[in-house]
Amino acid sequence: MADPDPASQSPASRTPQSKPALQLKSQKFREAREGDWRALNGALDRAERQGLGGFSIDELLNLPVLYRQAMSSLSMAMAISLDRNMVVYLQSLSARAYVYIYGPHSRLKDVPADFFGKAWPQSVRRLTTELWLAFAALMAGILIGWLLCAGDSSWYDVFVPASQADGRDLSASAQSLRETLGSGPKDTALSPFAVFLMTHNTQVSIMCFALGAIFGLPTLMLLIQNGISLGAMLWLFARKGLGFEFGAWLTIHGTTELFAIIIAGACGFHIGRRLMFPGEATRMASLSQAGRLTGTVMIGVALMLTVAGCLEGIGRQTITDSLVRIAVGAVMLVLWLAYFLMVGRKAKTDG
Amino acid sequence: MAETHKARRDLMSDAPYGEYGRTATEIVTPEGVVLPFINASFGERLGALIIDLIIVVLAPIVIFIAWVILPGDQMNSDTTASAIFQIAIIALMFFLRSGYFMFFEMGPKAATPGKRLMKLRVIAHDGGRLTPAAVFTRNAMREVELYLPLTLAGAGMAAQNSLGWLALIWALGVLLLPLFNRQHARLGDYFAGTRVVHMPRAKLSYDLADLDSDRRLGLTFTAAQLAYGEMELGVLEQVLRERKVPVMKAVADKIKARIGWQEPKNPADVPRDEDFLRAYYSALRAHLEARMLLGRRRKDKHDPALS
Repeated sequence: MADPDPASQSPASRTPQSKPALQLKSQKFREAREGDWRALNGALDRAERQGLGGFSIDELLNLPVLYRQAMSSLSMAMAISLDRNMVVYLQSLSARAYVYIYGPHSRLKDVPADFFGKAWPQSVRRLTTELWLAFAALMAGILIGWLLCAGDSSWYDVFVPASQADGRDLSASAQSLRETLGSGPKDTALSPFAVFLMTHNTQVSIMCFALGAIFGLPTLMLLIQNGISLGAMLWLFARKGLGFEFGAWLTIHGTTELFAIIIAGACGFHIGRRLMFPGEATRMASLSQAGRLTGTVMIGVALMLTVAGCLEGIGRQTITDSLVRIAVGAVMLVLWLAYFLMVGRKAKTDG
Repeated sequence: MAETHKARRDLMSDAPYGEYGRTATEIVTPEGVVLPFINASFGERLGALIIDLIIVVLAPIVIFIAWVILPGDQMNSDTTASAIFQIAIIALMFFLRSGYFMFFEMGPKAATPGKRLMKLRVIAHDGGRLTPAAVFTRNAMREVELYLPLTLAGAGMAAQNSLGWLALIWALGVLLLPLFNRQHARLGDYFAGTRVVHMPRAKLSYDLADLDSDRRLGLTFTAAQLAYGEMELGVLEQVLRERKVPVMKAVADKIKARIGWQEPKNPADVPRDEDFLRAYYSALRAHLEARMLLGRRRKDKHDPALS
């Protein structure tokens, strides 16, 4: 072992004996900032337990300052310190503070205004092509259902199995069919059946959306299939001269519900399209863009289906006049269209 | 042999949270700081999913049993109460199937109970906020990834047809997708631009380097004796924090042999193993940190020594 020259000896061995507190740079660094870290840690503990409600104004204003200090401490510590415990602590503290400060919770407060005023209608407008495609698929389904049943009535049993028909089968008389369009056997406004329909429809629309991930084909099939059973039923009622009444019965909630399902289908088509044709973005970036856009739209679809469920559960049971039913349905359709077409448009200043 | 070791070892700052062998997703925060997040392992994700599924499956069973045990006659005789109860059941089933994951992941912890137990949470991959839309999308995809293929597989198996096998292969393929990417992301994560990360809690302990008391002991080392790198310093720190006597003795003996340490002649002056190791730790850290300030770092003992 050669005798090393004094300049390369460690600082510990060559510091003069007289100096009182002997500290490394990283220790001084830690001493100066440790209080702030512990304050941030305490604030985070409190916020995670009870939320920000109990914070005073000063504490609230201090939180982002402490967060930025911890962030800068971390980048500093990575450059000057080899105290692993401290670096690990700072990493975990910064990560905790980061997910808290940029977490989802604060979003929930300002979400409604932003969501209904801008995000939802704007996102829906970006799906125009897919919306037309989904609309066409549903209409094609209805047409197929009608025409096939009109050509050969035995198709009806295939499209609307007895388990789902609920008395609306080929042998039903006009009288019994008319009864199914009435105010329903139970007069309770929000019957369990209505709630079941509401949750079922939401499930179907989520399925319609998620299946878009398989290149959009199952979404297309689901839309056409739903259209076919609708068309078949329409044919059944029309055959007995009840087409108008059935249309009215369907319209009161159907304009909202079918609109929602068309939008869900459009979302499915959109992710399928962006999966297959990512365009200039990488496929991963394209997928996450599409996922976020359609996610926004789908939250709205769930709300639309709740509105449809209320119309179905309350409106259809209490309003029995066909003309009023059609009027309510038409008004809802106009409201939705006006909302999607007009709300959240920016004034064109950048053009 | 040494070469392969060298290639695998990283600087301390490369090992996220001091956990060697785990990969991290680096998120650039809006402040421009690069923050590493440990990717959740496949096992952790599977564990969290199983816990959540157990909750989702058991909750209705528990409620059903409670319904049977509780005086149900009055409930059934009263039609309004019965209707309300039915509505509650339908709403609950819907919540468990479609809303459970979304509800908890939109909350402040961004994690379902299963994820919380496994210390996981969901973050946005681009460093921005985790939006409700992203949470909706990543959980809506469960329909394609989990519920639908499993339902089809179940139906296909019962009917003994090839559709069941096809659905099972589909389910397995999508379920195992997290095994085939570094961040262990599933299909829903790609669609929503999210990742699931592991967030351990770390405590700030005391600083081990205490140059003053080392000086009082009179232990000094030459630069040639400080023959280790950052990797070994980290291990030494761990040994000193755990304070296991046999381990400290073994480590001290090994270091003494390597650096050619000569024990003092007077037996009363021979330092305890812990004191020796702490002194060596302080000296090594001071040595490495001083070089670090000049931008010269030594990964481990296989790196060339710093002058």
